Amino acid sequence: MTADALVMEHMMNPKNYGKMEDSNSVGMGKNPQNGEKVAIYLKVRGEEDPFIEDILFQAIGCTTTIVAGSLITTEAKGIHFSRAEELVSATLGLLENQTPEDAACTEMVALALKASLDTYAEKQKDSDFPMISYHIKTDCTPKEESEDEKTV
Amino acid sequence: MKKLFKEIHEAWLATQFTGFMSQTQSRQELYEFSNILFKHLTWIENDFIKQNIEYSYDINQVPIRVDKLSSMLHDIIRRIELIELTLDTCKDEHITFRMRSDLNYMKSVLEQMPDEDVSSAFNMKKEFPNITLTEEARDALTLFLFEESYKEYELIMVYNYSKANSDNAFLNRIFQILIDESFFHLRSFGQMMAQMGILGVPRSLMEEIYKFDNLEQFLKDGIQEEIGAKEECKRLADAVSSSSEHFASFFNFINHQENYHIALMEEALEYIINK
Repeated sequence: MTADALVMEHMMNPKNYGKMEDSNSVGMGKNPQNGEKVAIYLKVRGEEDPFIEDILFQAIGCTTTIVAGSLITTEAKGIHFSRAEELVSATLGLLENQTPEDAACTEMVALALKASLDTYAEKQKDSDFPMISYHIKTDCTPKEESEDEKTV
Repeated sequence: MKKLFKEIHEAWLATQFTGFMSQTQSRQELYEFSNILFKHLTWIENDFIKQNIEYSYDINQVPIRVDKLSSMLHDIIRRIELIELTLDTCKDEHITFRMRSDLNYMKSVLEQMPDEDVSSAFNMKKEFPNITLTEEARDALTLFLFEESYKEYELIMVYNYSKANSDNAFLNRIFQILIDESFFHLRSFGQMMAQMGILGVPRSLMEEIYKFDNLEQFLKDGIQEEIGAKEECKRLADAVSSSSEHFASFFNFINHQENYHIALMEEALEYIINK
């Protein structure tokens, strides 16, 4: 399958999309600039070496966010937390190669996954621990606007 | 009753999107049936509200990728049978009698509907019959159709939720016009997606999209989004004008329709502010 066909496949039929009623951890990635957000729900198994038995995501965002969510959650399904942490780092490491708009969407999904992993870890110490939200650092404002904003 | 509500919602989308796949007169029948299922959804919703029951528009993804129309027709019949099984969870006998009769008739028509090859709706070719688009125009159009088909579904549900939960006649008139307009846009875009081989059902909505506290802010944001959509239509009309006069005029037509949506939202906004 070509890269274009793979992206089309995830656009037409996003994988792992929806709300998980029986999740044992939820995390959020947010773009404070435009209010877009991604929630990732995890069903985690294994006390000693936890792994992601099931994963779903929901988003208020654009098509790029949905494609990124579909791809990343597909990769994360069935893996142990240590591998999931590596997946987050590897994804964040690739942002430089993307346009600012695409990078912001990808970062939001990666941070949502990180937030859900971290929320789960905190919940093991304190079951009432609230959901963690992380804000993205990528600036996806079009250049002209950023310059305008600086002059104000 | 929540299960019933969810099943009707999913059956409505399955029927509507099967209509987009069809290239025969079955399309119109499927559109009519999807309208009926949407009405059923709103009736059950009103029953929730009358009984003060919390509800949401959460649904499972609705898979539609098939080669033959008959596969979707069987799927819709299966969905209707599931609705029939849970219909008694609604205690309003007037609604359930009417629904049972509608569903029975729909099943009998769907069972007789002729089969069609619909594989082209999913072939990802991103091409329009008899129209040559540049790669840039094709990609822009593809992204636009995904963004906007979701957006129109979102708007239908947002305005439907607002209307269902409001007894203000002035605002409800505006909400109803916007629902009808979004249905028209969703159908236009859905048909185009099927023709381009990129048909997909929009994803489900996060609750906070339609359960908002601040209608004023929602309308302000909505006006900005409509302005953005107008610009996108204008850009697309320009991008495809050299390839297709028909497309260019279609996007100008959609662009000009957005003007009235903005006017309606401004009217609603003014009403809320001055209330």
